[in-house]
Amino acid sequence: MGLNTLPRTITLHDGRNLELRLLEVADCLGLVEFYRTLPEQDRQVLKDDVTTKEWADRFLRKVATKEVLCLVAMDGDKVVGEGSLYRSMYGWTKHVGEIRLTTARSHRRQGLGLAMASTLVKLATDLGIEKIIVSMVENQLGTRHTFEKLGFQKEAVLPRHVKDISGIKRDLIIMANDVSQIWAAMEAMVQDYSPHQGE
Amino acid sequence: MAKTEIRVGGLGGQGVILCASIIGKCASIYEGKHATLIQAFGPEARGSACSAQVTVSEDEIGYPYVKNPDILVLMSQDAYTQFIPQLKPGGLVLYEEELVSIDGKLPKGAKAVGIPATRFAEELGRRLVLNIVMVGFFAGATNLVSWESVEKAVKSSVPKGTEDLNLKALKKGYDYGKEQAGN
Repeated sequence: MGLNTLPRTITLHDGRNLELRLLEVADCLGLVEFYRTLPEQDRQVLKDDVTTKEWADRFLRKVATKEVLCLVAMDGDKVVGEGSLYRSMYGWTKHVGEIRLTTARSHRRQGLGLAMASTLVKLATDLGIEKIIVSMVENQLGTRHTFEKLGFQKEAVLPRHVKDISGIKRDLIIMANDVSQIWAAMEAMVQDYSPHQGE
Repeated sequence: MAKTEIRVGGLGGQGVILCASIIGKCASIYEGKHATLIQAFGPEARGSACSAQVTVSEDEIGYPYVKNPDILVLMSQDAYTQFIPQLKPGGLVLYEEELVSIDGKLPKGAKAVGIPATRFAEELGRRLVLNIVMVGFFAGATNLVSWESVEKAVKSSVPKGTEDLNLKALKKGYDYGKEQAGN
């Protein structure tokens, strides 16, 4: 499921077909519009003010430098989901990628988040990223469940780290998936020396 | 159906045993035949001679050792040198063509078909899947097992998260095997 598999069509649980593809410059306004239509409480958990043209310009620059790999879900010509892989191109965490994912409320609980997250995980492993992290607020149970399905595990909790729209401080959970271990398991299988091989 | 005896040979670290194990699993679990597997490897983890013997039959198998294989699957020159004299006349050699050179020692009527499996695996992104390319090549070139069965056998044998690339490797080998053997 590498870059060459995009764009591709996915079918949601309710039968709707969406297109998953990489972000194009022409999507910029559609992306800002998508974020503007999100309820404020959803936008509260994001790290940037994503409703401005300035943010979109900064974001596109990061996409151009490959610091961010951005996937969008399109329902016709409308953006209904955005998932990005952030990575550092230099330094001691350049083997680590961070996934940030947002979907429209109208398209949640339909398998879209899982489809986008699994695509991003595959793209990350194809890029040689060895560890992927994702942050979420403690009460984002659906998101947590989605990433658990992909092998992510809770790695850290920052207590009372984020403040929601009502002023309540909540824990921030960091989940991680050490994808380098996936291929380590395959490497162990092809060693040809274990007496248990082939059982 | 007559018994089909297979010898898979190569070097430790190439996934010789897993290759043989998947062929046997495919025939027995997914095609309802009988299959046995015998494996042999050197003391080192990597680089030592390594081979496996697989027997596939419609009937129960009374003796699992392969003395004169019908099919050789070879991934190293040493394995070729060691096992080619044992191949049955009219047998089939499936070999990694960048690691094995075929000379004039093939038994009478034997056919040899090569595949650049290491290069294919590297092009797919991981040399590690060389053995899965060979499994696909075996299935495509011999028709001994169906695509559906071998696909299931690979899926159920490789670690979670590696299925996509392994299945691509399998398909690459399978298509190449079909093409080369004219199946």
